[in-house]
Order: sequence, then C-alpha cells, then structure tokens
Amino acid sequence: MNRRTFFKLSWGTVGLAALVSAIGVSLAAVVRFLMPSVFYEPPQAFKIGTPGDFAFGAPQFLVEEKIYVFHDRDKGFSVASAVCTHLGCTVAHFQSDEKFHCPCHGSVFAADGSVQHGPAPRALDWFEVTLARDGQLRVDKNKVVPPTYRLMV
Amino acid sequence: MNLLQEIWQSIVRRDSLSTDKGKSELVFLNVWLHIHPAKVKKENMKFRHSFYLGFITFFLFLILITTGIALMCYYRPYPPQAYQDMKDLQFVVFMGPFLRNMHRWAAHGMVVCVFLHMCRVFYTGSYKKPRQFNWVIGVFLLLLTLGLSFTGYLLPWDQLAYWAITVGTNIGSYAPLIGGQVRELLLGGHSVGEAALLRFYVLHVAVLPSLVILLTIVHFWRVRKDGGLSRPVWKLKPERETLVTIGAPAEAAPLTVKASTTKTYGLMEVVTGKPIFETVSAEEEEDTVFSFPYAFVREAVTLMATVTTIMVMSLFLNAPLEELANPAKTPNPAKAPWYFLGLQELVSHSALLGGVVAPALMVLALIAIPYIDRNPSRRPRDRKWVLWLFTIFVVANLVLIVIGTFFRGPGWALVPPWVHVVGGAE
Repeated sequence: MNRRTFFKLSWGTVGLAALVSAIGVSLAAVVRFLMPSVFYEPPQAFKIGTPGDFAFGAPQFLVEEKIYVFHDRDKGFSVASAVCTHLGCTVAHFQSDEKFHCPCHGSVFAADGSVQHGPAPRALDWFEVTLARDGQLRVDKNKVVPPTYRLMV
Repeated sequence: MNLLQEIWQSIVRRDSLSTDKGKSELVFLNVWLHIHPAKVKKENMKFRHSFYLGFITFFLFLILITTGIALMCYYRPYPPQAYQDMKDLQFVVFMGPFLRNMHRWAAHGMVVCVFLHMCRVFYTGSYKKPRQFNWVIGVFLLLLTLGLSFTGYLLPWDQLAYWAITVGTNIGSYAPLIGGQVRELLLGGHSVGEAALLRFYVLHVAVLPSLVILLTIVHFWRVRKDGGLSRPVWKLKPERETLVTIGAPAEAAPLTVKASTTKTYGLMEVVTGKPIFETVSAEEEEDTVFSFPYAFVREAVTLMATVTTIMVMSLFLNAPLEELANPAKTPNPAKAPWYFLGLQELVSHSALLGGVVAPALMVLALIAIPYIDRNPSRRPRDRKWVLWLFTIFVVANLVLIVIGTFFRGPGWALVPPWVHVVGGAE
C-alpha cells in the first residue's frame, strides 16, 4: 500500500464513520423526541377515599382509575386491575359467579385474577393499597402485589 | 380573434388535435399528461384485463385528499372537542355529513380496491420481470393505505374509534422486544389519550399521505418505464423463436437472426427509402392507438364513475358516530376496523402467533413473491400451483374477516348474524 492509497482509505473510513454516526445520532434524537418527557395522564399512584367509603361484599369499580376495590369483612382491602392482560379492554366483574369477564375476546379470570378461559396470556394485576397519613387509602399501580395481598384497617 | 388564438397557443403550445403530431404533443408537452405514452396498445386498455383497479384506487385517493382537506377546516384533534366537532360536522356544517360520508366510503373503497388491484396483478402475473420491485412498492402502498385508514379511525373520538384503536395498538404491543415501546411511541403515552389523538392526526394528515404520494409517483413512473400496463394474458405471443431479417435490401445478402425478446430498440436515425430493419411488427403497429382520446376518455370515464359511485353511496349510507369515547366502558364486543377483524380473529386464539407472527409472515411473503416465483411464464396453465396458493391466501383472509365481522358476538362468542343477542352478557 502506498502513501496515496493509505490516505484515501483512511479518509474514506473516517468520512464513512462520521456519516454513519451522524445518521445514527439523528435517528436516536428523533426517537427520543417522540418519547414524551411529560405525560399528561392520570398519575399511577393516587388516593381513592377513606376505608369507610367502601362497603363490604361486592367490589367497587372506579371508572377513571380502572380498578376494582374489594373490601372483605374479615380480610380487609385488595385492589385488582380492570384492564384485561390480553388487549387492554376493561373487564367486568360479575357478582353471580365472582369472576372477571372480558368483552373483547372472551377471557375469563377467576376471583383471584388467574386466567380460566380465553386468550389472556397472564393473570390480572393486583396493586398495592396502603393507608396514607391523612387516613385515605392509597393505590400504587406501579407496585404489583400477589393476589393474596390484603390491607387490614 | 388573432390575439385569443395567440393566447391559447401560448398556453398549449401544440399543433391541432386533428393531426397526429398534435395528439403526440398534447401528451409529451404537458407536465400532467406526460406520464402517459403518446400511443398505447389497444388490447392493454381492455377493461377485462385490469378492471381499471389501479386507476380507481388512485381516484379514490384524490377524493380522500379533497374531502379530507375540507373536513380539516372543522376539526380540532383534541379530546373532547374532536367529538364535538364531529357532532357539528354531522348536524351543523353545511354538507358536513355528505363530506364525511364521502371520506369514509372512499377510504373503505380504497382498502378494497388496493387489495383487488393486488389480486389482479397477481393473477395476470404482472409482477414478473422486470416489474418485481414495483410489486414491492405496491405492497408498501397497501400497508400505507391500511395505516391511513387505521389512523383516521381514531379521529372521531367516539366509542367505536377509541376501542378499535385500543385493541388495535395492543395487538402491536405483542411484537417481541420492541412492541411495547413502539406502542408508547405511537400513542405518546401509556394508553389511548389526547397525545395519541394528536399523533394519529399528524400521521393521518401529513406523514402517511406524503409517503403515499411519493411512492405512488415511483409506482406510476415504473409502470410507464416498463412499457405501460402489462400485456393481457390472452395477447401473449406464442413461445416460438421469431426470426427477423437484418440487412440492406439490395446489394448485400440479408442476415437472418433470432429476434431478441429482452432488448428494446430505439430510433437511431432517420433515413429515406425502405427500412432496413423492423422494430415493431405490422400486427403490433395496427394494435396501437393514440392516448388521446382513447386512453384519456377511459380514464375520465373511470374517474367520473368512481366519484359518482362514492357520491351516491354517501347520499344513502351514513358513516357511524357513536357516543363520546369512554375509557371506562368497553363496548361488548369491542371490534377493530373491519379489515383488521381477520387479525383480531387470529389474536383471539393466540396473541403472539396470530397478532405478530402470522401478519409479519404474510407481509414478508407478499414482498417476496416476485423473487420466490421465478417461473417466467405468465400463462395461467403454467402457474397452476401459485394461483392455487394465492387463492387460498385470499380466501383465508376473507373468511377470517367475515367471521370476525358477522359471527362474533358479545364476549367474542360465536354468534351467527341471524341470531339477535339482547343486552349482551352483563
């Protein structure tokens, strides 16, 4: 390799590397630009009211939060997600068989959220529920807990 | 009078259309018409060869652009105003329902015609050499059409729109590794909300139409460069070697050689006297007519028929508008747009296999068709296998869509369309 070829090759390599990295960085910037830095969505952790607001027996469905709040006389509070794990439809809890039914593709979840029927790939989520300092119940959707989790008040 | 003539002449700059020169100049001196050749083969224009499906698709796209721009004047892509604007378009805006109906039926028509056009190109073997890559462009145009239809589906922000897009984008999130992130990128959030509406709007009115226009230009250009519409199957020449004679007519001995089927000949020079070689057989020359008026009249009639059909449909069939989108209440059953119901049917059996693997394989197979099918013959009797395979593919898709559309009731249970379910399973 003579001097001329050497320089041609090196400049070519440097140029190509610069071009490729410029394109790469630009693409990464575009993807990052499209990922919102702020979500104007309902918060993932929120308060749902005092324990006295929830009657025993049938779960209460919170529309905005898409959760079912169970209040058992002996065991206490538990909170289930109402979002079907298949394709995100809102499941309905039937008092008659105490199961969750999805209207979209017919998935059925047992009382503990486990899949009994249909295409759902996994059980319904259960969320952590705690008692906040002001006496209200606080649900955190970021914290998934086992279906046996209960909050005794 | 002379001045008027001069002005007219300064605009058109061609000879009278009563002459052949004028007819040619009309085509190649006009920027809008010059995508046509000056002369076309009569048989290639036969309706029973192409059913004019490509043209119809293109004209539907023109209708969509015009009505879409009109609708944009009364639409704000922001919940809940978006829904209120739909109500205004439905009840307040002059001709609002008519425009909205036209936009919707043209959109559905475009999905149908793009698909039928693809079938026609397949059955006539028109994707074969040298048109392989134009088929690939066509597949991308089909995908863009579906994308346009899907993004437009959300914009009314009613229950139908909201849940179709919720289900539709969740199907995408099953794609391994990147599915979830792609969905978030598309929605601009974790669920279908105001960010998603704005993004779908931007895709629907700017990004996707621009891509369709760009690819359509390439698509048309390549059709033109490959000699216009493909030869109808019934006009294909018999597979025998044709011999042509090359040589000077008088002194030298004529040379007889095999005619090339792969080369094309252009005019190199003009000489007086008898031609020393032929590029076009007499039979082919007879078969050719000027684009003006033969091709243009057919196109104009197709355009008028397309517009009229959409207008008549829009007079009698109303685009649906349900109640305001309600994230808490899933309609039962919740269905994706009809052309994705085959997909939803597959997804109801297995989300990963049906929602990701099967459609990905389908698209890849479509793209690869011209490179897999290397049989050069376009005659149906030489292509029995491929024709059967493609027919099975088409029928399977249709059957799945019909099942998803008409045979799925509340809870996605199998319910025949003639059985009326009251109230659902609540």
